[in-house]
Amino acid sequence: MFEPDEELIERVVRQLRRPVTVDAGLDARVMEQVRRLPARRAAGAAHAAWGWLTRPRTVPFLPLGALAVAAVFVAVVLWRPDRPSRPASVSEFGFVVVAPRATTVSLVGDFNDWDAARTPMQRVRKDESVWTAVIPLTPGRYRYAFLVDGVRWLADPAAPAARDDEYGAPSSVVTVGGS
Amino acid sequence: MTLLLAATLVALQAATQGPDPRLQRLDSISRPIVTALVDSARAAALPTEPLVQRALEGTTKRATPDRIVAAVRRLALDLGHARDALGPTASPTELVAAAAALRAGAPPATLTELRRIRRESLTVPLAVLTDLVGSGVPVDSAAAAVLSLAAQARDADLVEFRRAVERDIALGAPPASATAAAAAFAAAAVQVNAGARQQRPGPP
Repeated sequence: MFEPDEELIERVVRQLRRPVTVDAGLDARVMEQVRRLPARRAAGAAHAAWGWLTRPRTVPFLPLGALAVAAVFVAVVLWRPDRPSRPASVSEFGFVVVAPRATTVSLVGDFNDWDAARTPMQRVRKDESVWTAVIPLTPGRYRYAFLVDGVRWLADPAAPAARDDEYGAPSSVVTVGGS
Repeated sequence: MTLLLAATLVALQAATQGPDPRLQRLDSISRPIVTALVDSARAAALPTEPLVQRALEGTTKRATPDRIVAAVRRLALDLGHARDALGPTASPTELVAAAAALRAGAPPATLTELRRIRRESLTVPLAVLTDLVGSGVPVDSAAAAVLSLAAQARDADLVEFRRAVERDIALGAPPASATAAAAAFAAAAVQVNAGARQQRPGPP
């Protein structure tokens, strides 16, 4: 039943085993054809680079090493020295100062970048000399002072004085706790 | 490879944090020096916001450039000493309060002991210690009183303690005696409050 197939295979094998004679000028003619092709060196380099970049690779690593890399990444991305370690609660704080004959009074301190224009204080009543301001503060220790008429600095008589006052104008400190 | 990645990320993070735009308010003499001091503090993992604020305070108060630079430099040193005393886990607000306490004369060992005995933030205990010294209380008496209260007292208890001391001093009591008396009273109150808190039923 399989005899014809075996004969066919035998013939094919015999044919394939015949020695082949190649023309001696074949190599030269093929290379000549190759040289005539248009040059594509830049595209070829880009193609090679793209192929190098997109070729999947196998990178051996220890699980411990991968965990260390991930931990370093998370620590560097999340860590900021100025950031509080946990979300801070905000409390409203009222500041009061008596400044007779003042035209303007500003509350200036660490909480508003020492910007005299940021927190103007309000008179309690039109004809009185009591000025107030209420601002939100997160827990911490803040230096501040009152600036009267844009030229005169007043410390808060109701608060501790800032000891390290290097600038020759008085400041006070307020400490906001969290518990 | 891990070190290389970490160094790259740190460099990228530093590159993304350019000069603080608020420092543009400084004069041309102090600005580059303060900027360098802030950069150095950032590289040393110290909080930079207090340094910026101290510089802004100086420029708002029309201080001379050399005084601004000196103040910022001194605060940077104090923050470094504060971290040495409190350890690397100290928060920025704790470091600011600790720097003020050290500047007031508190021994570094007192700060380290506070860290050891108190689980909550040290900002208020350190501020109370500084304020007491500022009120004329000898630093040893102030430190002993704060240490005796810090383990159990809440921030509000400590602030109330400081007010009591200042009130008694204003009424004529010697500072050390006023501190000892107020500390004893506050300790008793803290014990009562702590007992009440323990007996209070918790959430279901």
